[in-house]
Amino acid sequence: MKVVGSSVQRSDGEAKVRGDAVFGADLAVPGMLHARLLRAPVAAGIIRHIDTAAAKASAGVRDVVTGADVLNERAGVAVFDNPLFATDYIAYEGEPIAAVVADTAEQAEAAIRKVELTIDAETPVATPGQALMSDARMVHPSWAEFGTVGGIDFNRDGNIVSQILLDPGDVDGAFKRADRVIEGVYQTPRQYQAYLEPKMALATFEAGRYTIQVSHQYPFRLRDRLAQVLDVPKSAVRIVGHHIGGGFGAKLDLALEPYAAVLARRARRPVMMLNNPEEERLTAPCRENATVKVRSAVLNDGTILAQDVDVVFDSGAYANNHPATASIPIFMFGSIYRVGTARIRNRMVYTNTAPTGAFRGVSGPYLVFAAERHMDQIANELGRDRREYRLAMLAEDGHKMLNGQALEELSILHKAFDLVEERAPWAEQGKGKLRGVGIAAAVWLTNPQPGQATVKLNEDGTLTVVTAATDSGSGAVTTGLRQIAAECLGISADAVTITMPDTDVAGFDAGSQGSRTTHVAGRAVYDATTGVREKVIEKAAAMLETAKEDLVIEDGVVHVAGVPEMSLGLADVAMAATFSQGPIAASGSYTTPPPPHDPSRTKGMLFSTWPTPTYHVHLAEVTVDAVTGKVTVERYIIAQEVGRTINPDAVKGQVLGGLAQGLGYTLWERVDIDAGRYVQRNFESHGLPLACDMPEVEFVLMENPEAAGPYGAKGAAEPSIVPVAAVIANAVSDAIGAPIDDIPITPEAVLDALERS
Amino acid sequence: MTADQPISVTCTVNGETQTLEVGAGETLLQTLRRRLWLTGTKEGCLEGECGACTVLIDGAPVASCIQSAAAVDGRDIRTIEGLSDGERLSPLQQAFLDHAAVQCGFCIPGMLMTLTALLEQQASPSREEVETALAGNTCRCTGYQQMVDAAMTAAGRERA
Repeated sequence: MKVVGSSVQRSDGEAKVRGDAVFGADLAVPGMLHARLLRAPVAAGIIRHIDTAAAKASAGVRDVVTGADVLNERAGVAVFDNPLFATDYIAYEGEPIAAVVADTAEQAEAAIRKVELTIDAETPVATPGQALMSDARMVHPSWAEFGTVGGIDFNRDGNIVSQILLDPGDVDGAFKRADRVIEGVYQTPRQYQAYLEPKMALATFEAGRYTIQVSHQYPFRLRDRLAQVLDVPKSAVRIVGHHIGGGFGAKLDLALEPYAAVLARRARRPVMMLNNPEEERLTAPCRENATVKVRSAVLNDGTILAQDVDVVFDSGAYANNHPATASIPIFMFGSIYRVGTARIRNRMVYTNTAPTGAFRGVSGPYLVFAAERHMDQIANELGRDRREYRLAMLAEDGHKMLNGQALEELSILHKAFDLVEERAPWAEQGKGKLRGVGIAAAVWLTNPQPGQATVKLNEDGTLTVVTAATDSGSGAVTTGLRQIAAECLGISADAVTITMPDTDVAGFDAGSQGSRTTHVAGRAVYDATTGVREKVIEKAAAMLETAKEDLVIEDGVVHVAGVPEMSLGLADVAMAATFSQGPIAASGSYTTPPPPHDPSRTKGMLFSTWPTPTYHVHLAEVTVDAVTGKVTVERYIIAQEVGRTINPDAVKGQVLGGLAQGLGYTLWERVDIDAGRYVQRNFESHGLPLACDMPEVEFVLMENPEAAGPYGAKGAAEPSIVPVAAVIANAVSDAIGAPIDDIPITPEAVLDALERS
Repeated sequence: MTADQPISVTCTVNGETQTLEVGAGETLLQTLRRRLWLTGTKEGCLEGECGACTVLIDGAPVASCIQSAAAVDGRDIRTIEGLSDGERLSPLQQAFLDHAAVQCGFCIPGMLMTLTALLEQQASPSREEVETALAGNTCRCTGYQQMVDAAMTAAGRERA
């Protein structure tokens, strides 16, 4: 292969280093107005009165709207609980109450301060623990009347947004047979995505259709959600995507777009909205805070007869996409280690806090944290070496997960443990006072959702790939898809242009999430380019008066195999085809079929399989400062399986970036909540990782081509974040000789634990 | 002088002399983006912490979001748009591409300005010195390693 496997540079790279790349937040169009939202100043309260008269009279103001002025039906991805504007009560601090549109952003800002709001503040339901109390106030008193997607029940119950239960029925019996029951409780906080580009939307309304220009990870979901809240057909909404200044899951659903759309239609002018930094922090759909309880029924020889896992997580004020991904715990326990049987319960809970949502590795970081802290705990209690115990419990190829799906390639994990061992022999790591080592393993998925691509041969012999796949930074579109098309046709990646997303132009694509782009959109591009290739060969065979089977395409030239002088440039073929039979183009569509599993075990779960699994082992060595409590990561090794590497530098960038986010989550970043309100309200206080915080990283790439993927590629971008918290907590616990079962592992937490040990 | 009376400022921006009427509370970031349409300088945290808005004033990196525009009279300002020599990228810009140090790209203008200042002051920094210089620039995508690699290449130093 010539193009696949090489570190081709991203097509938007030069524009980005020159400062020429136009991000959503940079957009401006003639005549555009600026809008701002009035957001709830308290976490919970009854709205008694909203008086917009003074705001309407304010300089430069064109329009002021509240829930009384617009269609304000409750809507959502899974549960229809979220109105555009709060009208009778406030569910979280930062919830939109009114919108002002004015000639300038400053005028709009001045006017929202003139909206008179009369609120009776209430005591917020601030934590999942409070929400689950029998006498808890209902965050949404009318929850029982909310609609749901497809009428699915989700086992909703008051403040419980949704719950899943997988119970094979034999768990309690297994606990009775156990030599010992080992129990742990693992707590994790929210994590803020901290993309640098604020959310924005630029809306226009023309000829009965809305056009939204935006930096968004999933334009087609945005189209569909806007159609839902505006009550118009999907075809009445067009989404035009621009460069995205980071998303990490936070730009997958509605944010400012519906307000901009409504205001643009009323004003008959383009309307631009841009969150200020505080609004971002108050309303970003953080990774959910969670508590995971794990009980294991264990025999003295180490056999795990059963596990009983109880997850409670904080959905915040609205359901978001959580009910759809609530089944992830059933893939994180009993999947890679042999567990006789398991019961899994997962409850998502409403609180009066900002709605949580998707962040890279959805649910995985805290579930693997719990699962792998628990493995250390069992090993320690049994007096077993922590690595040796894992290897003893590690399942083999064909092992069935709790959904009945077989992991056919689980032996990759054995190999990953071996490769890590070669670089960092376990027996030699973590030796010395206040020095520790941690190891953890995980299986992660490649998001299966659909993608489509159209590939056209241009009359100069280059290709254009038309797709709505989005590149939020990974390079999956700007390098990966171009490389796949180039390799397939036999041209250089420089000869492949790829479009920015536009829902009017490209077919459906499920967006930048779950490492799906290279695998799923890549397969669609591969299939489309294969179609182009066949047409090129057919036309060239006619032109060269030779058999199709004799032709090859190399470096942009079609020639008879072994006879390079019998050749045609692709431009010649393209021109000849265009003006004889018509231009050469082809399309491809793909979605990963669900792997075989046992549906009787996953009743009521929207997400019932774990498609295109990839395998991961991480090891870290840490030191702890006994005086300051500071944890230093001395060494970090990642063995990651990717199917096939399309672009080595891009994969490395994803792995290192995910690790940095994982280290931040585990050690430094803070999202604290006090009485329903976020404590950290400026950029600096979040404690994001800096260049000087990063350890040396050793990355071991494992290739194992997968039949359905383009050139064997699986997903690679998301998963390096998943095992990090587990690995670091295991290493710190080892270093200080006391369990660390909560993150972030702050210096204070380390000093407390040292004192206790 | 009242708060809304414009103030006349003459400065050099990317080598060109500019005379601008700016507001008393106006930041240099606003002036660059709104008056000169130099939108390569990014608006991030607006509190001088994230570094996306970094420009060079008389060769020193400054967070333009907290820099008064009125105070740059007589100063020399360089932005991301002025880094390349026409079509030719600066060695640092090229190294960022060669090392795949660019992902979403929103922090990149600020990163490049900070590192340009470092390399102008110190031709051959160590990795640690590069990392320390980036203490005022946050990148959420890359984990920094490929950026530091790029800076070392631009400085003519192999990976330490």
